[in-house]
Amino acid sequence: MDQRGPALNAAAPLPGPLLAPLLELCAVSKQFPGVKALDKVSLEIYPGEVHMVLGQNGAGKSSLMKVLYGAYHADEGEIRLRGERVRIASPSDARRLGIAIISQEFTLVPHLNLAQNIFLGRQPVGRFIGKIDHATMHRRARELLDALGLSEDTMTPAHKLGVAQQQLVEIAKALSQNARVLVMDEPSSALSDHEVEKLFGVIRRLQSEGVAIIYISHRMAEVFQLGDRITVLRDGRRVASLLPSETTPQDLVKMMIGRSVDAGYRTRFCAEPGAALLEVRGLCAANGTKDVSLVVRAGEIVGLSGLVGSGRSELVRAIFGADTVTGGELELFGAAYRPEPAEAVRRGLALVPESRKQEGLLMIHGVADNLIAAGLKILFPRGWYRAGVARRAALALIARMKIATPNPERVVKTLSGGNQQKVVIGKWLCAQSRCFIFDEPTRGIDVGAKAEIFALIEQLVDAGSAVLMISSELPEIVALCDRSYVMREGRIVGELARDELSEANILHLAMHPESGHGEHGGHAEHVH
Amino acid sequence: MANMEGMPNMSIESLPLSAPGEANWRKMLLAIPGTSLILLLLVLWFSFQGVDFAKPSNIVNIGIQSSVLLLLALPLTFILMSEGLDLSQGAVLSLASVVLAAVLAHGGSLPLALTAAAALGLLFGAVNGVFIAYLQMPPFVVTLGTLGLAHGIALVATDGESITEIGSQLPRLYKATVLGIPFPIIVALCAYALFHYLLYHTRFGSYVSAQGGNREALHLAGVNANRHLVVVYLIGGLMVGLAALLWVGRISSGHPTAGHGMEFDALVAVLLGGTRLEKGYGTMPGTLVGVLTVGVLRNGLNLMSVAASWQVVSLGVLVLAALWVESRQGEK
Repeated sequence: MDQRGPALNAAAPLPGPLLAPLLELCAVSKQFPGVKALDKVSLEIYPGEVHMVLGQNGAGKSSLMKVLYGAYHADEGEIRLRGERVRIASPSDARRLGIAIISQEFTLVPHLNLAQNIFLGRQPVGRFIGKIDHATMHRRARELLDALGLSEDTMTPAHKLGVAQQQLVEIAKALSQNARVLVMDEPSSALSDHEVEKLFGVIRRLQSEGVAIIYISHRMAEVFQLGDRITVLRDGRRVASLLPSETTPQDLVKMMIGRSVDAGYRTRFCAEPGAALLEVRGLCAANGTKDVSLVVRAGEIVGLSGLVGSGRSELVRAIFGADTVTGGELELFGAAYRPEPAEAVRRGLALVPESRKQEGLLMIHGVADNLIAAGLKILFPRGWYRAGVARRAALALIARMKIATPNPERVVKTLSGGNQQKVVIGKWLCAQSRCFIFDEPTRGIDVGAKAEIFALIEQLVDAGSAVLMISSELPEIVALCDRSYVMREGRIVGELARDELSEANILHLAMHPESGHGEHGGHAEHVH
Repeated sequence: MANMEGMPNMSIESLPLSAPGEANWRKMLLAIPGTSLILLLLVLWFSFQGVDFAKPSNIVNIGIQSSVLLLLALPLTFILMSEGLDLSQGAVLSLASVVLAAVLAHGGSLPLALTAAAALGLLFGAVNGVFIAYLQMPPFVVTLGTLGLAHGIALVATDGESITEIGSQLPRLYKATVLGIPFPIIVALCAYALFHYLLYHTRFGSYVSAQGGNREALHLAGVNANRHLVVVYLIGGLMVGLAALLWVGRISSGHPTAGHGMEFDALVAVLLGGTRLEKGYGTMPGTLVGVLTVGVLRNGLNLMSVAASWQVVSLGVLVLAALWVESRQGEK
């Protein structure tokens, strides 16, 4: 048990428990056009262990899970169960092999009762043609739910349950299939502290019964609290597998980041920001934004970082008025502002959303139409459309933004991702916006176009606009921003000035190794 | 403690409680209070209008008149629960009754005629189902297309004329009674029992709700969701084909446009019955109450000599009012 490999050595042999592994992934690879989601990942899971899988957004955690339950087919490598090679081509294969997943999206049928949900597709059938044996089904469901400490009536329809209870039903469903391997994808992300405690109690119980649990997480505290072993993934590769006792949160963060930071894309940072263009105090919104205060000044690029699901997009939607605001004060260009999209556009606040296709562009319309869509009032103050004015405005923007399109009428759908993004930005330029909010501006864009988008963003602030930018790519935030806020669970948990801005600092704040769920030290008891 | 926990289930807030899953009549009827109340009020109102509404013979009449509607509304409930739609029911009913009447007119036996109508229904159900499930086209578009197809074929095949020479087999059967219960009502009751059983007592029933509620759940449970969705539409088509038997029996002829608008009545009945167009919610008793509500309204207005077109208007008003009330309740 003491031949421990050095923490950063990917190939280090692990001193596994004195048992044969239950499940083995051997050099599993999965390739998508342009990206290697999994690159020769090997993993051994032992019965009765909680194996934490850790990694940044896009590190391959979800792909790994999908390979295990048959949603993805590995291009290379093999999966072995109890030493024998198995093929997992579909979720039903996985189920038959005793591998179950608890994904973040729940898979309960809202208007079926709990017993039906647990046994969906496997309801016990009695002697009469196809008649479900309700009595047996409910009795068995009752046993399963009792064992998990859920007292809810098995006749209750699933939609009546809260998130935590639904999750327990999902676990019951997995157990009813005699699952020996349970893959849980960030199961604690939607739970309250108390519920997390209860969940951990359930996990420990399953563990004691020999169920192996693969627990995908991005919460540092629970990694150490619950994990028997930890595997870190990065860019689709396994960086290390190690025991909690031989590592520290700092080490893990380092492993997750890995690559050296390609320092300073931007050459001149904003030394003296101008007036506050957008100021938010104590903003609360129905979408989960809690008591957020921030300020963005003219000439600044301000980052908004955090893990996926930390509430960044929700925050900017609230600021823009796309989601209902329940409290707080906002100022735009020095004057009070009540969040409302039409008002935001009129006043010069632009939101460049993450999903260009859904929210930002009229995909089947031409470039020119899109470019002038938000600036109609400015271009045509008297209300009637003048084709010449529209065309000249569009051409000017196309030239200024270097949009690669054969003509202004070209349908936006046919442009590359980078050029589409430029059209979105151009649209807001045309509307004479001065405060820009970018939500993942480089998602789905190739490297060359990325540089151009960055240059455009820089141009915007150099011309006196203010930019608030969400990005899950930490290097982008570090390279581009004058400072950055870090969000977690709908709140801003920290602000990093230019000289403090590093991937490690952001991740520390985003994952809070020292606070929050650290309290769950004690063994959780079943709560009835 | 157990009593305490039982308490919330008694309150109105915890309704609608038993969606598909198991039948719980009391709860399911309580879950559609709006429509049950409408039905009750309509019955009371018509009873005091000085027409022969409350006479036993008229009540039997309502049952007979509602039987075709029930045969359409039952499978339509499944279809709506699967987040689908079927606009083609009326047109396919017309076409199937033309086919049925034509077989009879050419001397074919009644079983042969019924088989032909059923096969035609199945064919349209298959087309609907395959286009919707496998080619993933919107149900609205697909069934609008098959509506046109059935309508057009019926007109072309008959030149717009009725087929009246249907012999005596069917009229005799239609007027037959068993233990005093008219044949159409027996058919309707059997169909109801079958659908009730399917939804609440078979795996298939739980899949129907899952289609609209959470298809991913079906997939993860290893159920072939597409195949079962096709079956839902096949059942729909088959029932329309079988309904042609009662339809031709009722109007004593096959007419290429006589079934038009039946899809409207069926949709109104199912919606009044509480079935939602989302999340896979619907109940069989609800649909039964919905069908009776439409049947009572039409019958009562008929007795009061209200024109058929005004009956349609009243159904439109009814469904708008009922769903508006329901949506208001949903907001709270």
